[in-house]
Amino acid sequence: MRFARFNGLNVGIQESKEAVLAADSGLLEDKTQFRYGLKSLFCCEPDEGELFDQLYEQFWGNERGQLSGTTTYQNQSNIQKKAPASLVMMGSGKTEPNEEGEEARNVSGANETERIRKTDFSKLNAIDSQMLEELALKLFQQMSKRIKRKMKNSTKQGRVDLRQTIRNSLSHGGDPIELHRRKQVPKKQRLIILLDVSGSMDKYSFFLLRFIWSLRAHFETVEAFIFSTSLIRITDYLDAKDLEWTLTVLSMKANNWSSGTQIGDCFRTFNEQYAKQVLAGRSTTIILSDGLDTGEPEDLATELNKIKRRTRKLIWLNPLKGMQGYEPIQRGMAAALPELDVFQSAHNLNSLLELERYLEEV
Amino acid sequence: MFNNIHALIDSFEQQKYIADEELGTILFLMLQLGKPVLLEGNPGVGKTEVANVLSKVLDTELIRLQCYEGLDVHSTIYEWNYQKQLLSIKIQEQSEKSDEEKEEHIFGSEFLLKRPLLKAITASEKPPVLLIDEIDRADEEFEAFLLELLSAFQISIPEMGTVQASHRPWVILTSNRTRELGDALKRRCLYHWVNFPSLEKEMEIIQKHLPNMEVSLVNRMVKLVQYLRTQKLDKAPGIAESLDWARGLLALGFADLDEAGIEKSLGCLLKSVDDIQRVKSTGIQQLLTEIEA
Repeated sequence: MRFARFNGLNVGIQESKEAVLAADSGLLEDKTQFRYGLKSLFCCEPDEGELFDQLYEQFWGNERGQLSGTTTYQNQSNIQKKAPASLVMMGSGKTEPNEEGEEARNVSGANETERIRKTDFSKLNAIDSQMLEELALKLFQQMSKRIKRKMKNSTKQGRVDLRQTIRNSLSHGGDPIELHRRKQVPKKQRLIILLDVSGSMDKYSFFLLRFIWSLRAHFETVEAFIFSTSLIRITDYLDAKDLEWTLTVLSMKANNWSSGTQIGDCFRTFNEQYAKQVLAGRSTTIILSDGLDTGEPEDLATELNKIKRRTRKLIWLNPLKGMQGYEPIQRGMAAALPELDVFQSAHNLNSLLELERYLEEV
Repeated sequence: MFNNIHALIDSFEQQKYIADEELGTILFLMLQLGKPVLLEGNPGVGKTEVANVLSKVLDTELIRLQCYEGLDVHSTIYEWNYQKQLLSIKIQEQSEKSDEEKEEHIFGSEFLLKRPLLKAITASEKPPVLLIDEIDRADEEFEAFLLELLSAFQISIPEMGTVQASHRPWVILTSNRTRELGDALKRRCLYHWVNFPSLEKEMEIIQKHLPNMEVSLVNRMVKLVQYLRTQKLDKAPGIAESLDWARGLLALGFADLDEAGIEKSLGCLLKSVDDIQRVKSTGIQQLLTEIEA
């Protein structure tokens, strides 16, 4: 048992006790049965089952080799560093002040905060982005607190509706024989976020990721994915208390950061591997992408339709939509449009904060 | 009960359920240790059926709780029968009893509507089999509530006090893995991942249920089903589907698998338009040559 514990299986005192009990109940007589018994006690997942089999072989069998398995706790060395991606992620790959930046600075009649809230992320200089970051974090936190509060309120429904009960009781001579209840609103909502981190999104992905992070801190059920040429689930990494740490780990993990985009392919991976798990029940899916796809638009439309059928609301936030004169005419975006419930911009703080409107209805 | 694991597997087989040694061991352990069993696996591999058969083998009642999103604790434990309570108050208005006596009466067990969990705990004769089906569909809150129930086997009803289980029910939980279950719950259970059966085992299962079917037909059929499982499909056919298909083929009077027969009965096996179209576009003839190879 100690051996199993040291090699990564979750074996506590309770399990040890039960293993002894199991052995005592006659399982020891047959080696295979004893093995199956221990397996059911020590393992909680199919992956752990495989690890157990290896460990068992190693402990009882004749082989005394090293573990050859691909156990998760050894993956760390697989993480490839990619300098430009990390830089973008850490917020140092900003644009220098330029003409457009100046233009943004001169929004007339607005105070500093207002101005920053309205400035396009791609037009920020280094000083501004520092301010924006602080402001963003504060506002995102306020926002998610508000949403959470509203969601809590809605769960209180389902109580007895006195007014209606008294009305109904008239036919029974004033005795409330039947209690009328308000309609029960299902409580738990899932939020699924797919963030495009391809090259064309560089200017935005950093802020959008912060946005996701702050949502995650206040919602219990947020599933997040990043995609460019492939799809990576990042939910577990958002869990950490420290945002900077999260960003660092993520930038190391995403070795395809800032590369091209194959939205259709990534969505297919999502549908095949994760959709069944994360889109169960009432869910809202948010896609953060500029829709500049190098794949086939038909693929994108088919896969998006699959997502649409499993989710309650499909929201696409596109940073380019904030640009004047933008029309969703690129092939990818045009193919996606018919499937969407909400198509919104996500180019500055204000536009992200607008999302609150859709999230509270969730 | 059972002296050894093989006795248990044999009695399962009498009920037409082919259990392998691993599953047999786990069920045997469950009966020895009194721990709940958590069965995970793809839809259609026969997880729910384990509970059905277990209740038959142990000759005891099966209490089933189907989980769904938004399932609340009340609808799974107990509810008060308000209408009956109020009518009872009405009737008692004329009686001579004191107010206290009347009140005591209102929360008597005759007004209690037992839901599956309370039913499982208060079963009087022998421990029932409690099947908590598709626990992954229920919310985390419900899962947390189950933790308490599964370790202490008691439920408290504020108006009546705590109800302690007279017999510990045999609990089987099933999950399709649409959501990751909490570690706490998993650690309270014996865990078993149910795989799709091997060719031989699946043939044996079908022959148990449909002894009249030609062995060669069963063999080709199961080969095809197993081949389809390796393909990329939205919904891989489970054992339930292959049984359905076998019954369908028998009902349609096919003695052998041919293109026309498969095309007509494909709906028994595949439950999605996309899948059916995918298979048809690959060509059924192609499929048949594939399984012969």
